Amino acid sequence: MTASYLSRRTSLWHRIYRSPIFDIVQFTLLVFAVVWFFSSSTEKMGYNWQWYQIPKYIFTHDENGYAAGPLWEGLMVTLRISGISLVLAFIIGLGTALFRLSQSFVARTIARVYLEAIRNTPLLIQLFFIYFVLGPVLGINRMTSAVLALSLFEGAYTSEIFRSGIVSIRRGQWEAAYSLGLSGFDTYLYIILPQAVRRVLPPLTSQAISLIKDSALVSTIAIYDLTMQAQALIAETFLTFELWFTVAGMYLIITATLSVIVNYMEYRFKVSD
Amino acid sequence: MPVKDSGDYIIVVENISKTFPDGVKALVDFSTRIHRGEVVVVIGPSGSGKSTFLRCLNGLEEIDSGAITIDGIALNDHKKSRLEIRKEVGMVFQQFNLFPHMTVLENISLAQRRVRKKSKEQARDMSMDLLKKVGIAEKADNYPGQLSGGQQQRVAIARALAMMPKVMLFDEATSALDPEMIGEVLDVMKALASEGMTMICVTHEMGFAREVSDRVIFMEDGKIIEAGTAEHFFSAPAEDRTRLFLSQIL
Repeated sequence: MTASYLSRRTSLWHRIYRSPIFDIVQFTLLVFAVVWFFSSSTEKMGYNWQWYQIPKYIFTHDENGYAAGPLWEGLMVTLRISGISLVLAFIIGLGTALFRLSQSFVARTIARVYLEAIRNTPLLIQLFFIYFVLGPVLGINRMTSAVLALSLFEGAYTSEIFRSGIVSIRRGQWEAAYSLGLSGFDTYLYIILPQAVRRVLPPLTSQAISLIKDSALVSTIAIYDLTMQAQALIAETFLTFELWFTVAGMYLIITATLSVIVNYMEYRFKVSD
Repeated sequence: MPVKDSGDYIIVVENISKTFPDGVKALVDFSTRIHRGEVVVVIGPSGSGKSTFLRCLNGLEEIDSGAITIDGIALNDHKKSRLEIRKEVGMVFQQFNLFPHMTVLENISLAQRRVRKKSKEQARDMSMDLLKKVGIAEKADNYPGQLSGGQQQRVAIARALAMMPKVMLFDEATSALDPEMIGEVLDVMKALASEGMTMICVTHEMGFAREVSDRVIFMEDGKIIEAGTAEHFFSAPAEDRTRLFLSQIL
């Protein structure tokens, strides 16, 4: 029975199906189909492609050397907002996770209320709430509102990731640490968190990528991030297709780079247990 | 009967009881006293409360009632007393529980640095000495995952010893090991016993009990059924239950 099963698996059809050439052909066909579909339909629309216009919106070059174009400036704003929010989101996330796992009823309740509030309302509403309601009340500016909204939102999701990582650590690790006389703080810092963080690196990366993408929403409160700059440029130049393609490409480059870095880190820190 | 807190006894356990949330009575009005330097082997069927007894001794399980005093320190609800006692009581687990993200050397040095506040060099020297003692100094920079079970357990013993404990608890330290590795771990334990360490070992290694133990305690249902020397258990156990149990494991 095993023999016939094996021979069926190595049949001619199966070998073609499994060969890399088949994959390459499939992929090429798919790319062609997409390009053909797109070019034929834009042609029908009579869209006038002006790709040559795009580079100057990223960089301009004159006798004084290179100068940043609006898209580059927007990219920097996006990176700054995402970067700060990411650090804050991880801190909030870790804090909330520890609150949820703590012995204190009050701490657990605070964490639960925060989580439910954030996860059950749209980010856009949170952003508006912080900017239009808390902003005037607390006197915080646009940039702070944006960072606060993003880090509170992503922090809620990050905390669940941290929590799952922490509870996945075997009980024996806690007991070994305690039996050596380590304090709760030292146990977390030296034993539990290093292992937990390594375990949750992949979902943590996804969350970081989500944050970068979600940061596009700050354009709604008139922060000139990458998305807002693109909108402004399109209003001026009508290069709708080229600019959105470019902006999407720029987001893709940031997030892809992040993925590659984390993949490398995961490979480096691999723990066997 | 000697006086209650005679300095002769390093561990005094008085009428402790422990019931788990699921209603299992792990320890029932359990009392015992252990001399400084004594080697006690605890045997008994699974679920008899022997592991729970060990885990209560360093506060990994909280007792419902009764009192535990170790080297004059009462183990009570205060965090401080638990930390204080854990410094003095080393524990070796069935599953080794080494820290997989740290090298062998880091595993042994961490508590020395964080709890005993030693310098990096002092901790390192101590760790290397202990690794030599358990016979695996050459593995200092390896990760636990690269070691055999027997080697991991010897590292775990070294890690516990690094705190200079006054008492060592062994919770089925050889039960998870392949047969050919049990000997190397038992040898380390025997060496430790001959140095005068106070040891409480939950184990079914009756050869070990016979060779080094001063006293064997047979437990069932959270109570001591019978206690005596290893010879007593081999030659003339008084209780039927003891005889039945021994016939099963020997």
